Order: sequence, then C-alpha cells, then structure tokens
Amino acid sequence: MAEVFELHLRRRDLGKLVAASLALSGLTACAERREKIFPYVRRPAGVVPGVATHYATSVVRDGFAVGVLAESHEGRPTKIEGNPEHPASLGAAGVFEQASVLDLYDPARVAGSRGPLGLTSRESLERELSAAFGRGAAPWLVLEPTSSPSLLRALAALRARFPRARVSFHAPLAADARYAATERLFGRPLEPQYRFERATVVLALGADFLHDMPLSLRHARDFATRRAPGPAMSRIYAAETTLTPTGTLADERIGLAPSELVRFAAAVLAELAKQGELATALPDGVKSALARGAPLGETEAAFARKVARELARARGAALVVAGPGTPESVQVLALLANAALGSVGRTLSFVEPVPSGQDGALPLAKLPDALRAGDVGALVFAGTNPVYSAPELALDELVARAQSSFCLAHVENETARACGSVLPEAHYLESWGDARAGDGTLSFVQPLIEPLRPSASALELVAGLAFGFPASTHEFVRDTERARLGLGPASADIGFDFEAEWERNVQRGFVEHSEFAAVNPTLAPERAVPLLEQALSAPSSASGFELHLACSPTLYDGRFSENAWLLELPHPLTKQSWGNAALVSSRTAAMLGRHTGDVVELTHGTRRLRAPLVILPGHADGSVTLELGFGHAVADQLSHGVGVNASVLGVPFGTVARVEVRPTSAKADLALTEDHWLLAEEAVAHELTLASYTQNPPKYEHDLAAQPSLLPSFEYAGTQWAMSIDLSLCSGCNACVVACQAENNTPVVGKDLVKNSREMYWLRIDRYLTGNPDAPRVLQQPMLCQHCEKAPCEYVCPVNATVHSTDGLNEMVYNRCIGTRFCSNNCPYKVRRFNWFDFSGARGATLLQRNPDVTVRERGVMEKCTYCVQRIRRAEILARREQRRLRPGEVVTACQQTCATGAIAFGSLDDESSEMLRRRREPRAFAAFAELGTRPRTRYLAKIRNLDGEETGS
Amino acid sequence: MTQSAREADSALTDQLVRTVWSGSVYFRIAFAVLGLGSAGFAALMLYTFQRGIGLWGNNIPVAWAFAIVNFVFWIGIGHAGTFISAILYLLEQRWRAAVNRFSEAMTLFAVAQALLFPVLHLGRPWFAYWLIPYPDRMQVWPQVKSPLPWDFAAVFTYGTVSLLFFYLGLLPDLASTRDSAPERWRRRIYGVFALGWRGSEDAWRHYRMAYLLLAGLATPLVLSVHSIVSSDFAVGLTPGWHSTIFPPFFVAGAIFSGFAMVLSLIIPARKAFHLENVITARHVDNCAKLLLVTGLCLEYGYAVEMFVAWYSGDEFELWQFFVTRPTGPNCWAFYVMMFANVLLPQLLWSRRLRTNLKLLWVISLVVNLGMWCERFVIIVMGLEREYLRADEAAFNPTWVDWGLLAGSVCFFLFLFLGFLRWLPVVALSEVKEGRRERERTLAQAEGARG
Repeated sequence: MAEVFELHLRRRDLGKLVAASLALSGLTACAERREKIFPYVRRPAGVVPGVATHYATSVVRDGFAVGVLAESHEGRPTKIEGNPEHPASLGAAGVFEQASVLDLYDPARVAGSRGPLGLTSRESLERELSAAFGRGAAPWLVLEPTSSPSLLRALAALRARFPRARVSFHAPLAADARYAATERLFGRPLEPQYRFERATVVLALGADFLHDMPLSLRHARDFATRRAPGPAMSRIYAAETTLTPTGTLADERIGLAPSELVRFAAAVLAELAKQGELATALPDGVKSALARGAPLGETEAAFARKVARELARARGAALVVAGPGTPESVQVLALLANAALGSVGRTLSFVEPVPSGQDGALPLAKLPDALRAGDVGALVFAGTNPVYSAPELALDELVARAQSSFCLAHVENETARACGSVLPEAHYLESWGDARAGDGTLSFVQPLIEPLRPSASALELVAGLAFGFPASTHEFVRDTERARLGLGPASADIGFDFEAEWERNVQRGFVEHSEFAAVNPTLAPERAVPLLEQALSAPSSASGFELHLACSPTLYDGRFSENAWLLELPHPLTKQSWGNAALVSSRTAAMLGRHTGDVVELTHGTRRLRAPLVILPGHADGSVTLELGFGHAVADQLSHGVGVNASVLGVPFGTVARVEVRPTSAKADLALTEDHWLLAEEAVAHELTLASYTQNPPKYEHDLAAQPSLLPSFEYAGTQWAMSIDLSLCSGCNACVVACQAENNTPVVGKDLVKNSREMYWLRIDRYLTGNPDAPRVLQQPMLCQHCEKAPCEYVCPVNATVHSTDGLNEMVYNRCIGTRFCSNNCPYKVRRFNWFDFSGARGATLLQRNPDVTVRERGVMEKCTYCVQRIRRAEILARREQRRLRPGEVVTACQQTCATGAIAFGSLDDESSEMLRRRREPRAFAAFAELGTRPRTRYLAKIRNLDGEETGS
Repeated sequence: MTQSAREADSALTDQLVRTVWSGSVYFRIAFAVLGLGSAGFAALMLYTFQRGIGLWGNNIPVAWAFAIVNFVFWIGIGHAGTFISAILYLLEQRWRAAVNRFSEAMTLFAVAQALLFPVLHLGRPWFAYWLIPYPDRMQVWPQVKSPLPWDFAAVFTYGTVSLLFFYLGLLPDLASTRDSAPERWRRRIYGVFALGWRGSEDAWRHYRMAYLLLAGLATPLVLSVHSIVSSDFAVGLTPGWHSTIFPPFFVAGAIFSGFAMVLSLIIPARKAFHLENVITARHVDNCAKLLLVTGLCLEYGYAVEMFVAWYSGDEFELWQFFVTRPTGPNCWAFYVMMFANVLLPQLLWSRRLRTNLKLLWVISLVVNLGMWCERFVIIVMGLEREYLRADEAAFNPTWVDWGLLAGSVCFFLFLFLGFLRWLPVVALSEVKEGRRERERTLAQAEGARG
C-alpha cells in the first residue's frame, strides 16, 4: 500500500485512471473474440482457396451405382451433383444422392471402434476379427447386395481362405421378383432395361419408374424427352396402390390394391391376346390361365380395355413396366405383355443382373436356425441393419448365440446395438471402391477426404479378412481394374499405359462403354402358366385389408434415418415431415370411421403395429400402404420415435399379405406441411389436356401485359435472370428441395417447428389434389421466390433490406434486415422464411458441410430463394476475368441442375437460345397470380395431360 | 368571489386531492398484484429478447400476430383520451372536465404499452432505431414507401404530444397538490413538478393559450395516428387488409375502444373515490352515447367491408370474408367481435340501460374484448388464409403470447393505479372553472330576471 501512496497520485488523476481503465478493460472485454486465420504456406496442388473443385465418384445403393460429382471446398465435400457423363445420372441427382453428403458429417456417426469390453482401437478389433474368423464354428458374413468387382474378388478370396465362411446378402428393398420372373420366362435371371425415350404408350404397374428404380434418374431424363406437348408426346398410364411421383405425372392413373393389380395386369394381357396379330404371341395355356382371374370392377375393367387398346395401337413403341415391389406374377404378366407388344429389342432389352455373387450365398432367413443350433462362429454385419429391417428373424436376441459378433455400421443402429463389437463404417466420400450402374456400367467410388475418424468400408473389411489387415482399398480397386483389363503385374505392362487409363476412368468416374451387352433370351411363355394359375385363382375375398409396403421417398429403407435433411423432408404426396403413416383412401378411412391423425392398429398374425392414419386421395380402396425406413428404436438418436417401423409386421417387401386394421381412440401428432387434401379448383397452377391445348391454346400471357402499377417503371436491359418451370415434368420427387438445402445452407428446424409451419425451405413443392376424391388429379408446383419485377415485398420493407438488382433479382440484404416480417405478409407466394430462433448453430462436424459461398443467416432475419445468386456472381466474375460475355446456359441453379426431368430452366431473357426463353414463349406459360400485378420473373408452364380420344371427347 | 364559493372550492380541492394522501390497504394489494404482473411482463420481454420471437406462435404465413394485435389495440385505446381532451375541448364540451384527466392518463399509458410491442416484435429489436431517419454515416435512410417508418413517427409524435398535453393540464393541479401536501418532502416533490406554478393572471393567460394550441395540435393526431396505423395493413395486398376504407374504419374503431376503456376505468374509480358529485351520471351517460355513436360508425365499416368484398367478386376477398372469418381457424374471435361490437352496443339505445352503471361497466369490458378480437380477426385471420391454398396455416398462440398480453394489461393498470394514487384524478382547476362559469351564468340570468 505504501508504494501506491508514494506515487503521489492526485485525486483527479486517480479518477481519470480508474475511469479510463474501467472503460478500456470493459470495452475490450466486450469486443468480439479475435481469431487468427492462416493462409497456406505451401499451397497444395490444385487447391485454390475459395474455388470449388469437383471430383467424380459414385453413390451406391443396394449394389447399384449412380455416378455423381462431389463438390469440394478446400478439401471439404459440400455438395453432390449428378455426373453428366454417367449413364445412370446424365447430370441429375436424386433425393438420396443429394442428401448423402450430410451423412459424412453426421454427429451420430459411430465415433470409435467398440469391442466387447468397451472402446478399443480399430487395429485390435481387426486383429480380433481375423482371429475369430479362423477359429470356432463357421463364420457368417452379412452384406448389402453388391455389384462391386473388387468386393466380389475379395469375397472369392475370403471364401478360398475360409472355406467354411457363409455369406448372405440382405437389403430390405432388394427386389428379387424381377429376377425370379425373368428366370421363369427366360431360364435365367435378367435385368430389364427400359427405353422411355422410345416408348409412346407406357403402362406402369405399381412402378414408380421415375423415382425408385436403379436407373430412375435416367428414366426421368428419357421420359422428359417425350413429354413436350405435341404429336410425339408419350402417354403414360399408371396402375398403382399408393400415389407415387410417377403416378402424379401419369396421364391417367388408377388406384388398385395389390391383388387387383395382378388381375388388372392379367386383364390387360387378356385384352391384348384378343387383338389380331398379338394373339399369336401367347400360347393357349397362358390365355386360359388369364381367364381364371376373378373379374375386375367395371371401372377397372374399362380402364384395362382402354390401356390394352392404346398399347396395341402403339405396338413396337409400347412398354409395360412392373415396379420392383410388385410380386412375380405381375412381373411375369408385364414381360408377357411386352413380348406380345413386340417391345423386346425396342423399348425393352435385357442384360445380366447387376448385383452378383449370389451363387453360394445363403438367404438371411437361414441365419436364425444356424444361430439357434450354435453353428455360427464370427457373425459379421457389414453395412446392413437386419435387426431393424427383418425383425421377424429375431436377430436382436439370437446374435448373442454367435461366438462373436461384429457390425460395421455408419451410426449406432439396432444391429450395432445387438453386436458385441462395432466398427465405424467409412462414408463413400472417404473410401475407394467400385460398383456397377443399373445398366452394368463400371463406376468408381473415389474418396474426397481422409476419413474423419478411423473407419473402414465393407470392401476394406472383406479384403482385410481375405488378405490380412490393413488392406489398401486403393491398391485393391486398381488391381481389380488391372485384372479386368487382362493385365498382369505392373512390371509386365507393355504397350499399355495403365496409369493413364486408370486416371482417365477415375476422373470420369466410370469406364466408358462398360455397360453390359444386351442379351437376347428366348421366351418360354408356357412356363408362366402354373404361376399365373396360382396367382389368379387366389381367393380375393379374404378378410382384412391388403398391406402394401413401399420404399420411403425420404428415408429409402431406413439407412438415411439419421439424415436430418431427409427426416424433415416432406413426403411428396402426403406432405408429412418427421414420420410416416398408414396411407389409406378416403373411402377406406370412412369404413374405419377414422380420419387423418387418428391411430390405427394393424395386426398380421401375432404381430401388431400402431400407426397414424393419413388419408391419401387416390390410394386404392381396401388396402393400406406403409412406407419402410421409419420407426427406429435406438434411443437418443434423431430418428428415435420418428414414424413407425413397418417391418415389425413381418411381411417381406414385395409380397402380398392381409392385415387386420382396428381403429383406436388414440391421436397421433403429425407434422404435415400442407393440410389440405382436396381442392375444388386451383387458381395458381393450371392444367390442360393435350387436345384442348393444341386446338385452343390458352392466353395466359396477356394477363401481364397491361397491369397498372403505382411503382415507378424500370427499364430492364442486358442480362435479366428468369426461370421457367414446366409443371408437366414435375413429379414432386423433392430432389430440388434437398439440392437447394445443401446449396444454400438452409437449416433443419425439427418436428415442433414444422408443425407450426416454420420450415425453412427456400424451395418447396406445393401439391394440389383436385377433381374426384377417389381418382384425384395431382399437380406438383415447385414454389420459390418468383423474383417479381414489381415485388410487393420490397415496398413494405421499412429499412430497404429487400431490394431489386438491375439484373432482375429480388435481393435480400441480411445485415440490413431487422425482421419486421412485413415482406412475408405481403408475399402472395409465401416463399419467405424467417429465422425464428438462432438456427445458424449447427452441431459439430455438420458445419463442415456448409457452402462457403452462401451467408449463414442469423436469428431474426428473413431469407428466401436468391436464384442461386452466388452461382450467378461466380460465373460473372469468371466471364469478366476472361473478358467475355456470359455463355448461354453458363449459370445453372442448384434446383435446375439436379432435376432429372429438367422441369426447371433458368437463364437470361436476353439469351435467345435459352430453353428458359423458349419455354416462356409457349402459350401455356403463365405467371402465378398474374392478376396481382407482381410481374413475376418465374413462369410456370401449364401441366399437359395427354388423354386418349375417349377422354377428351374429340 | 363569494365566501361560499371559496369554501366550496376548497372542499372540492380537499375531496379531489385527498385521494393523493390517503392510500388504503386495497391499494397496496392491487399494487402488489399488478406490480408482480408487470414484473412478469418485463421478464417475458427479456426472455423474448434473449431467445427470439420463435417463442411466440407466429409462423409463415401468420408472421404478425399477438404483438401487432396488442399494438393496434393499445394505440386504439389511446384515442378516446385525445378525443376527449382535445376535440371536446375545442368544441367547448364542458362536461369533459370531469373525465379528461382519466382519459389522458389512459392515453399515455396505453401508448406506452403500444410502443413496446412493435419493438419487441422485430426479429432483431436492437436495430429498432433503423426505423428513424437518424444521421447515419453511410447515409442509409428508412424506406419511405413502407408505412412502418411513418407508423413509428406517428406513434412517437402521438406519445410525445399526449405526454405534453397531459402534463400541461396537470400543472395547476400539481400546484394545488403541492399547496395541500401534509409533509414537507411531498411538498418539495410536487413543487418540483409544478414548475413553480403560482396561479398568477399572466400564468393563466399563457397556460390557456398553450393548452388551446396543444389541443389544436392534438386534434389532427386523433385522426392521423390510426389512419397511419391502418396503412400498415391497407398498403399490403393481403385480402382483408387491402382496403381503402381502413383509415376512417380504424379511427372509428379506435375511438370506440377508447370510450369503452374510459368507461371500464371510470366507473370503478368513481365508486372507489366517491366522485359521484364530480363525475355525474350525465357524464357517464355522455360517454355511453359516444360509445354507441362510434360503435355505429364501426358497424358501418364492417358492412361496407363485407359489401365491397362481395361486390368485388374477387375470389380471395370472398374467401377471406365469407369463408375464413366465419369458419376458419380461430373463428371464435370473429363471433366474439360480432357479438361485442355489433350486437351488444345496441343495448345503449336504452337510457335505462345506459344509466345502469354495473351493466354499462360489463358492456364496456366486453367491448374492449371485442375490439381486441377485431384486430385479431383482421391481422391473424387475414394471414391465415391468403392467396396460396397450399401454404395456409393456422395460428396457435403460445403461453408467451398470452403472458405478454396479460402482462401488458397488468402494466397498464399498474401505471393507472399509480396515477390514481399520486396525481389528482380529476382536473381540479377545470372543474372549478366550470362550476364558476355555471354560477356566473346562473347569476347573470338571475340578474337579468331581477
């Protein structure tokens, strides 16, 4: 103390000092925390900070590859796009491809290897696994179906090393019916290849061919080429149990219960058999078998006659497609119809089955008995979750009977919980691999990032078991490729540059012209007779409701259960988010005396399931659809308690079963983003028939011409951005919604906020059901910011936070926004989204997925579609640097890029060559709510339905 | 001045100022309850400020709900105060002297509530000052095509003028209170606020002129504030909002609700303070008549709104007025509004019912509720069902919404109770003046006769 006094401070000086120090220390404490950032000292080759690079890789599901391009920002994969050269993608990506990138950063991923005694190292677990394979009873390996040449090679080596090893392939949605059907008719299993670009009349039998088939993206591209209104427009008929995206685009559709579907297919074929020249194609045995079927209802029979007539008229350009979930009988009938129509070799061809290695594989159904008998040594599940998807096998209890059990899992799923040891599974963006696309094209899986945590792919695991750990999958895949090319050891390369070939292929993502050659099988139609007789004579008046299991359009078979984007994604038709439901028609619901949101109890044998009911107009009467993939049981995971697990009923996918449905008094808590089921008429989306469109084209455009406005006029010149969306091509599949979410860092808000209509999608798909409640017409309308020239949001903002750019964009200035939300009130399209809470804080690694080109929005500001302004500006900067004008089509929005049917076209109004401009000059182009005078830049093209003469009355 | 008149004056002063010195135990209880409610209000505001307005039930499309309903409700209530103090003053309606202090205080406290909500409802309330054209170094100004900066300016002006008007009118009475204060410290405090008022001839002359000028200034505000508030809706293109009738319709509704609130407050206060001799039955009856008249204006507004919706033939207008309001989500509010604002005021045609104070009080409370519901119907139901059928959603208020509404009522009553407790509740000088004038007229009449 004495020292202080010795300073001879005067009172005032002390006061100043105290005040200054308080102010300074206080203020510095308030400053934002400083963080240093470091530039690269030595820049890695190929990495330009701020410039994204794209690498070709493949997304593989159930053994089928889709070629994609993964976008990488400074080593972080952030977005998936389709690979334009890959035959299974043609530049498009579906919902699952788009969402797959989020799984890489999933906070719920298995964090580390876990042995029976707790956490362990990966190496020791691998050692233990190798040892377990060699000792005790026979090891059993359960894998996802695969087409990977490398994995098949590794499996062969594994079997050679451990001859007692048994292998099963399991995937809940693996459809063996088409292989069974082709085997029955052609003597061997075959993979049908559909050519929609050649098909003039298509009948889809329970086939969502635009959405859930291995080549769906390609189907959608091909389909779209024939859907421009005009004489070449194809005509699509759909007969399906539930309403699917394909059904929404069909010109005519009928809802049929699974048993009716068989009889309907038989009726179509029987009609075809009556037609002169077609009659000879079918043997009499088949014809008499067809006659056995119980008669269809009047509407159904008339529809079958009409479809048969149209198919026959388009002979040679007709196509009948049976969906992967339909039973063998329907597949056989479809094949026979195609044969009778002369489709084979034109619209339909066959190749070898893509997933292979089935020889010597045991069905999973044999595993429980082996386990009970104590015949299983090391039990390994790699990338499958049968405890969840096949509860009828009771594996959760039986796994413990194996001498040791291992699970290679992405997240701690039900199977991982049941197993003694868990190994983290590598994401496809972290691993090397190969697989074949739906047409057999050899595709490569190329990693973009070092594994975020020590993890292994199924290939690595099997190769390690076969050849010893650690296995280099990179080398292994290269060696497989060398073997395919018939090359020996590297030293023996003479006159062939393998490295160059390899690099070319990996860069491209696939091997050109490596698709399977079409085979020309001989048809033995008489072999169908016993099956048809049995299928068609089955009693149709059993009690209860027919159960129809379907692939979830958002979670697939449940493998995406921890993917927040997909959990929140509204179902394309029910618009249900965060859950699934028992879907029924309104008549069936009335029979049950229950309504949407009520809980019903389904009983199949001794198995029971309580599920919320959702009425889906257009669903077949007397049947219930349950979508797989929901209802996971692992506590404290995102998917816990979301929806119900349809597998619990013990009915395998693709089989027809009857269930009892009992109404209960319980209510379920559903998050439906649209709660209207049927509207009398819709003012915002238009629909026309082809006949009326060609004879009497509408005049929507003149609505816009002379709309008076109080707002000052502005001369828009030069590049002017605009969008045209063809409603004829939108199936509502949601790929654009997820693409937009990935591109624009749009947050997921959770079930409670979705229930209160607070979802944050910049692009959503509005679904309209109109017309007859039993056979409604469906309109899917992608709704995003319309970028109005006279934007009503702009003039009500008190702080100029939303303004117009000279190139016609309605811009949102986040850091000027104070959140009055007047703009949203004044937006007739309701496309503006508000940050009700701080949604910007992502969990852990999820931050790495964020697109650095797009601002993350803070609490309290409004946000909305920007027409992907970051892509526009990037292209402009590039053009300016190269001293040129923007090239036509240079700017592609995220939604446009991923859309498989090409429903969305974007470009500048001064670019005469653009598809966007061509479309908006069609007479069917209209602006949504044109009468409000908002002059939207986005145009919709009225949906055109190609009805046959009978319907249009012409 | 006669001796008797002077005595009567001082008796009146005693009676009216006594309330300031004698607090009862009921007062303390009421204070405690309302104070607690106000503290809860503050806590909820803080909670909202901290977490974001996601705590409320608002969503897309219903981006505006309780906060804006409450704002318009409170602003509307304020209008009767200014109407009574300014317009009736200019029209030389002497009876206003009995109730003007009440209504001015009510105005002030209602505007105080109203000012809180628009700020609180912002996504980023800390930037609320961007609505003001302050000298920004980047020269960014508010966007004047939007009604919101005007709204902010109008409400702020209104609040300021109301405060000045209230305070100016209070000056002579503050001096009276000072003069009759029992303790020195109270005298000091009232002395400070009385600004040295001595009641000199000069002071009175200047005071009268200032009061007249302020009354003139406040009069257009009665019409302008709610007109501008109504443009927050009328400018929008939402069906049910986009209507040229809104300014007069809103003003009528505002004065209607204001008179209802005046009655709701004055009837119990009159009883509690035994002011029957000052606020006479005739005064209450006049207020009730005005309630009926403004109610009729409002009902005319309803009728025109519906007629125009029908006459326009616009499907969205028809949908809003004839489907959404009677059958949509929260349609209870529509029926409460129709009952409280259309049917119930018709009872006031009867003089017998008008002078039944208990009934009148109940009517006034229900009308207040009805007017809150009217704003709810316009704002929330307008947004619940707009153009796009696919993106419709209902509004469900959360406990925070209800809490803030209840809290603002508590805070309003808390302030009002404070006013009753610490300020002369009736304009003493004006009442005296009125009495004197009446005596003089009587005397003159007698003189003329004699």
